[in-house]
Amino acid sequence: MKKLIFSFLMLALMAGGIFLLPSCKQNQAGKAPYKALIVTGQNNHEWKASTPILKQILENSGLFAVEVAQSPEGGKDMSNFKPVFTKYNLVVLDYNGDAWPAETQKNFESYVAGGGGVVVYHAADNAFREWKEYNKIIGLGGWGDRNESDGPYVRWRDGQIVRDTIAGRGGSHGRQHPFRVTTREPEHPIMKGLPANWLHSMDELYSELRGPAENLTVLATAWSDSAKGGTHQHEPILMTVGYGKGRIFHTVIGHAMGDSTQPAMECVGFIVTLQRGAEWAATGNVTQAVPYDFPQFNTESKWSLFRPLEFEEILANLKNYQPGDTRYNLQDLTNYIRNNNDGGEKYAKLETALLRYLQGTGTAASKNFILKELSIHGTDKALPVLKKLEKDEETKEMARFASERITLQYSN
Amino acid sequence: MSEPKKIDRRNFFGKMAVGAGAAITLPYIIPSSALGKDGAVAPSNRVVMGLIGSGSMGTGDMHEFMGKPDVQMVAACDVDKQHRESAKAAMDAKYGNSDARIYSDYREFLAQEKIDAVILALPDQWHGIIAVAAANAKLDIYGQKPLARTIWEGKKIIEAVEKNNVIWQTGSWQRSEAHFHRACELVINGRIGKVSFVEVGLPDGSPTYSAHPVQPVPEGLDWDMWLGPAPSAPYRGVCHWDWRWILDYSGGQLTDWAGHHIDIAHWGLGLDRTGPIEIDARGVYPRDGIFDVPVEYSIHAKYANGIEMHYANARQVPHGMGVCWYGDKGWIHVDRGERLFASDPKILEEKIGDNEIKLYRSLNHTQNLIDCIRSREETITPCQVAHRSISAALLGEISMLTGRKIKWNPDTQEIIDDPMASRLLRRPFRTPWKLEGN
Repeated sequence: MKKLIFSFLMLALMAGGIFLLPSCKQNQAGKAPYKALIVTGQNNHEWKASTPILKQILENSGLFAVEVAQSPEGGKDMSNFKPVFTKYNLVVLDYNGDAWPAETQKNFESYVAGGGGVVVYHAADNAFREWKEYNKIIGLGGWGDRNESDGPYVRWRDGQIVRDTIAGRGGSHGRQHPFRVTTREPEHPIMKGLPANWLHSMDELYSELRGPAENLTVLATAWSDSAKGGTHQHEPILMTVGYGKGRIFHTVIGHAMGDSTQPAMECVGFIVTLQRGAEWAATGNVTQAVPYDFPQFNTESKWSLFRPLEFEEILANLKNYQPGDTRYNLQDLTNYIRNNNDGGEKYAKLETALLRYLQGTGTAASKNFILKELSIHGTDKALPVLKKLEKDEETKEMARFASERITLQYSN
Repeated sequence: MSEPKKIDRRNFFGKMAVGAGAAITLPYIIPSSALGKDGAVAPSNRVVMGLIGSGSMGTGDMHEFMGKPDVQMVAACDVDKQHRESAKAAMDAKYGNSDARIYSDYREFLAQEKIDAVILALPDQWHGIIAVAAANAKLDIYGQKPLARTIWEGKKIIEAVEKNNVIWQTGSWQRSEAHFHRACELVINGRIGKVSFVEVGLPDGSPTYSAHPVQPVPEGLDWDMWLGPAPSAPYRGVCHWDWRWILDYSGGQLTDWAGHHIDIAHWGLGLDRTGPIEIDARGVYPRDGIFDVPVEYSIHAKYANGIEMHYANARQVPHGMGVCWYGDKGWIHVDRGERLFASDPKILEEKIGDNEIKLYRSLNHTQNLIDCIRSREETITPCQVAHRSISAALLGEISMLTGRKIKWNPDTQEIIDDPMASRLLRRPFRTPWKLEGN
């Protein structure tokens, strides 16, 4: 089912950005305050999969109206590839292919130097070894025969970031696996409020990147495990770079697969750091809240639609729940409530929807789960519905528990 | 309700008031077994004990006390026939007779048994009700941690214990281990300077995730009585041991271990009769199966003196299991297995001078209770202290459940400005269960 939805989504997006999720407020792109451009069209990676997902993730932040600049295919005439970068607050690089025309290169350099925002995504740091200013913009790069002449390795060692000029190749990764990302700049606006450590879902762990690394700040690293074919080093995962007045956010994660599962891009950690990094690159600030279901130290967390589910979708998924079934759908519900319990209007709406569900056709087990949630969050408004559920043999105990808990006084 | 039953049994030891009680004292019923094989301690000087909850923990505690020459175990109570019968078999084997008495209902146990002290080793949902009833029966108590399932019940236990002048020892036995005591004394006397941060590593929550279908209640188990005040639920084979993974009965590894390592963290800083002022927690809950306690948890707690503590499952803290205090002159880490480390090993050789703080010293945790039953002095882990250890974890649980940061007044023991979170300081009891007097 998940795969079906995904394929449909991909088709729709590829067909030209149809908004097939009308209930998703973030897709009202017209209201977004900033404009972003994704540069794509050639890559040794699956750009046809990654670009539509990046577009959706940026639009779902509610901050960006996103356009795509698609280059000619590899080997074709590039001379007319001239995106007008200055029309945008943010340029997202999902490109690793033929050289851009000199004019385009110059335009990009002056866009960034003049204060433009850039997101360097995954294999974009494989591109353009020979283009000096590009390498200053990405800070670190890999492959393309990069070596010590391109700049130092940048690693976390003994409690600090070190630049290591030792000879060696630039760019490698071991086998794909889930790995832990560790914050190194907890006070940076992009990182503030994120867990100190979180488990990223299966991905390539880029290692041995090297480059000019000027004005480069490592926000987060990951241990590149030699047992997985890694380097036995803490490698940079999230970075910022300064270039002229421009702000660059560089994320090495988010490898796109050729098939319909995208663990690295579904990871809430990838999505949220991308959204926060994009906002910071475009504006210098981050205004987005960290969602409750951000991955934790030892726990992956994914959004299969690259966004949190809508409340009605969560309730629909709950309908057939039986004890012993997977609890993912239950957790979507608790996370949603915890993300949206403002103690006011927002919660009142939520509670109304929960009470409606309790009077509908869902399984008793799903209702009992909601009754437990109401015992924690519920208000007096729930009591008349709970009274009714106390008459039903299958829900009476949890309904009783919830209404007693809602009316319980601690001070007695 | 049952005032004539309880005589001033403290006269029995001759250390208490000789007057008032004696006049109404009926001859104390000394079990015939008390006159049995152990002649070292006169029967009249033995502490007579019983046991409510004879599962794995209760049985361990029973053997521990039964191994003492000055203790006589005489009765056990459990809702599982097998458990109570095996407790009786152990007592009878120890004393070479068949005198041990068994009960399935703690109310009957408390009404019938004229004993000195009782071991309480129960699932958490029962702690409040039975501890209050046992204190009101004027029994001294060895109570397993956590003190209670909710902060409200913990407060009620303390009230009952204080009102009845009961001696209470909590099963936080790490306090009676020399290296834990040593670590705390070094920290409290400033050997690592001014402490600003403490890490508390607790076990990773790792219940199994099988489906647990509804199944027949095993013969001899009174399932409804086992549930007691908890919500009624069909039997799914989750009872002994695995009850700890369901929020209706327990808060998981977090609340199981708060009485060990959070207790030690508090002790080393003299914070064991107060609590945090701000608690911000994040839990990860099982993805499959029927269990619903957090399997991964991270609780940041701030105390009024500026100290911050991080209680989390051990994988999330650099030193792993145990307590690590960080001061401006170094750190000390302590854990089970006599593990005691410091940033500089010389710290561990420091002497504590005569004029410095000396923490309560106990060399044997269960003997400490027996000694205090005689002396009427406070034990090394009275319920007032146990209450603060579990309160810190329970506030973390509330922060996880609500998804909000909790502000706490440790003096009035109230949550500030969050009425919804406040009601989670208590749980409703299923009819007809009540705390005595409430």
